[in-house]
Amino acid sequence: MKIAHSRLELNNRHSTINKLVKEDGMRIGLISSIDGSQLLTVLIDPKNGELQIFETSLESHHYPSLSRCLPSAHWQERIVWNMFGLVPEEHPRLKQVLLHEPYSADFFPLRTVSGPFEVPERPHQGQYQFLEVKGDGVYEIPVGPIHAGIIEPGHFRFSCLGEVIVNLEIRLGYVHRGVEKRLTEVNWRKGRFIAESAASDSSTAYAIGFAECIESMFSLEVPHRARLLRVLALEVERVGMHLADLGGLAGDIGFLAAASSFQRIRGIAFRMAELLTGQRFLRAFICPGGVVRDVSTAMLKDISASVSKLQTEIPVLTEMLLENQGVNDRMRGVGRVSHWLALDFALVGPSGRASGIEYDARQFHPDYPDFELALQTEGDVYSRAVVRAIEVQKSISIIESVLDKLCNEESQFFLQLPEDLPPNAIGCSVVEGHRGELVQLALSDQSGRIKRYCFKDASVNNWTALAIAARNNLVADFPLCNKSFALAYSGHDL
Amino acid sequence: MTPVFSWIYFLLCLILVPPLVLSIIGKTKARLQNRRGPVLLQVFYDWSKLWRKDQTLSSTLSGVFRSTAVINTVIYLSVALFVPWLAQKPPIDGDDLFLLLYSLALARFLCLLASMDAGSAFGAFAASREATLSLLVEPAFMLTLVALAVCSGSTSLSSIFAFSINPGAGPEVWFLGGIAIFLCGLVELSRMPIDDPTTHLELTMVHEAMIVEASGRNLLLLEYSYAMKMTVFLGLSAQCFLHAYFQFLPVGAIWLCLLSVAGIFGLAVLVALIEALSVKLRWRKAPEFIAYALTMSFLACLVSIAKGATFR
Repeated sequence: MKIAHSRLELNNRHSTINKLVKEDGMRIGLISSIDGSQLLTVLIDPKNGELQIFETSLESHHYPSLSRCLPSAHWQERIVWNMFGLVPEEHPRLKQVLLHEPYSADFFPLRTVSGPFEVPERPHQGQYQFLEVKGDGVYEIPVGPIHAGIIEPGHFRFSCLGEVIVNLEIRLGYVHRGVEKRLTEVNWRKGRFIAESAASDSSTAYAIGFAECIESMFSLEVPHRARLLRVLALEVERVGMHLADLGGLAGDIGFLAAASSFQRIRGIAFRMAELLTGQRFLRAFICPGGVVRDVSTAMLKDISASVSKLQTEIPVLTEMLLENQGVNDRMRGVGRVSHWLALDFALVGPSGRASGIEYDARQFHPDYPDFELALQTEGDVYSRAVVRAIEVQKSISIIESVLDKLCNEESQFFLQLPEDLPPNAIGCSVVEGHRGELVQLALSDQSGRIKRYCFKDASVNNWTALAIAARNNLVADFPLCNKSFALAYSGHDL
Repeated sequence: MTPVFSWIYFLLCLILVPPLVLSIIGKTKARLQNRRGPVLLQVFYDWSKLWRKDQTLSSTLSGVFRSTAVINTVIYLSVALFVPWLAQKPPIDGDDLFLLLYSLALARFLCLLASMDAGSAFGAFAASREATLSLLVEPAFMLTLVALAVCSGSTSLSSIFAFSINPGAGPEVWFLGGIAIFLCGLVELSRMPIDDPTTHLELTMVHEAMIVEASGRNLLLLEYSYAMKMTVFLGLSAQCFLHAYFQFLPVGAIWLCLLSVAGIFGLAVLVALIEALSVKLRWRKAPEFIAYALTMSFLACLVSIAKGATFR
């Protein structure tokens, strides 16, 4: 993956990025800062996966916001404001994301420089202000942060008119743990354990992203066998999570027979994960330099037996779900995100592809030859389900071909890396996890330690889409919409 | 049948059938999902646990919430005492069909008040849904009972469900009535495809969200009265089918007693089947489902009037 790193003047930043995104079709991968005295902007070219990292030095804590022209930047600018105290001017809706009321107003956790400019206070400290919808008969339903099921915490504030949602505001940050900061404190060799537990349902995507990020700092290639094993792990995770999400969709509309069948075959994916890594959630397998242990041919045979079991079961179950008249009734036309809104807010993952966005980080990844996108255009709950169903089948054929390659080759699976990171290096990776593009960026200091590590989970883009999708839908359909996006709270909050 | 036996039979059914109906539904649903499911006595264990638990009460509660569970239990118990849901004359007289309708309405009204009293956003929300549903389903239920009443020429439930061979009431009326009451029951009891009782999603709930603030003995009473209501509905529906069967093949009292209980359990299995295999309807489609019940009751009415005109 090619990474271009350049400086960009603050005066030109807005116009340059705007031009690159709007005219050259690049995507905003990540917006952050190192210590609070500059802005980092990572742009991704969806055609070939080339990355451009722009560093903009700041002279004050204000900078012109990109969000007015590029709405996809709005959430990340809020996070940067929370973490570094950098205020995006003319941001349409500047509110706290990660730091809640108990934090003092001048606390910016990732800010490490004190000068040359003064630190602003966060306004709106005190009670968080939800957008209030006025009018006859509009009422609010607060839901969460503690939910009825065993899921993660997040607050939804619905403004409703009868049974119809007029506006939904989502408040997150309840599981903010300071993962990014922690990664600068530990030895980089142990960092993978923190990275892969950042969002546990996509631990492989996080682990691969971390490993690739570190490897790109060393600018080295890992052995071919290690790359294949990583692809295998990532696709097994995708199959497992997509099956769980499809089952969850069935469960949310009360289609218990389908829900439990999907749960059952998800167990097969778990078993594949266990055979592959010795761990059902694929933890502690991928490390910078390769993978921690090789997988024997006998194990690979076992995995391919599971693959053929899945191949017979999945088409039957997806047909049972997607051809059902009641399911069609419930899912079609519900929770629509139109193509242009999806473009504006840069949706990623299955949610983006369901709205016709031709982007999947695997399409330019060298380990995925002849990759085909699963594309739908309607952008409703049904399309998101269909995209998942197609992707499961595609992932299974990828797994099959990788298993073939793995059985026929014997080679190294691990490359010993030096003790210290190269000084002042920059590393970046883009991985397509099961919920979408995951961007990671690392910078090292003079002594070869990580001085800044940042993540951009797919959920950062897609939470906004949920708020859009819920609008003008029935309150009773919201859980279904929510499930169809399969968003992460922990991956967002970090 | 001697009165002593009749009483023993009635009391046994009153105590055992309501929890067993819930158990059977739970067990069947579990089996349909390849799970083993809870033991049949699980509902008894749950209820005894609730009995021993303390209540958590919101500080804004008034007496309405506290008294609702008790009053509802009394209402449903008395309904069980005057409605002929088993194949025998109910213990209490004065069994007018309108008394049944308005007892149910009263219990529902109190439940709506209580759920709004508890002050949670979901409670009031669910109350509005429940009110909407009951508004739609009440005419269907009423028409069905009236159709049956036309056949027997009386609005007294025990003379309607009297197992008399009446040429004015052929098996068709009974059959249609049984289907209509079963469909009304699904709506009244917030079962699938109107409401998913197993869901944890508050935003989609009807019945569960109304009782979400109840706990301890309060919850026990609400669950018990719910089970009672379910038994009465399934019982009435089973009685209709039994009457339809009786028109062809009259059987003895003992057989009727056994068949009544078997009918209730059979319908419970049917409820479970529907719940495992169907998809919950969109909220806007709920009236369409209720329209099925209404259609059945209309048909029952037409048939009974036509037959009445022929034979009287």
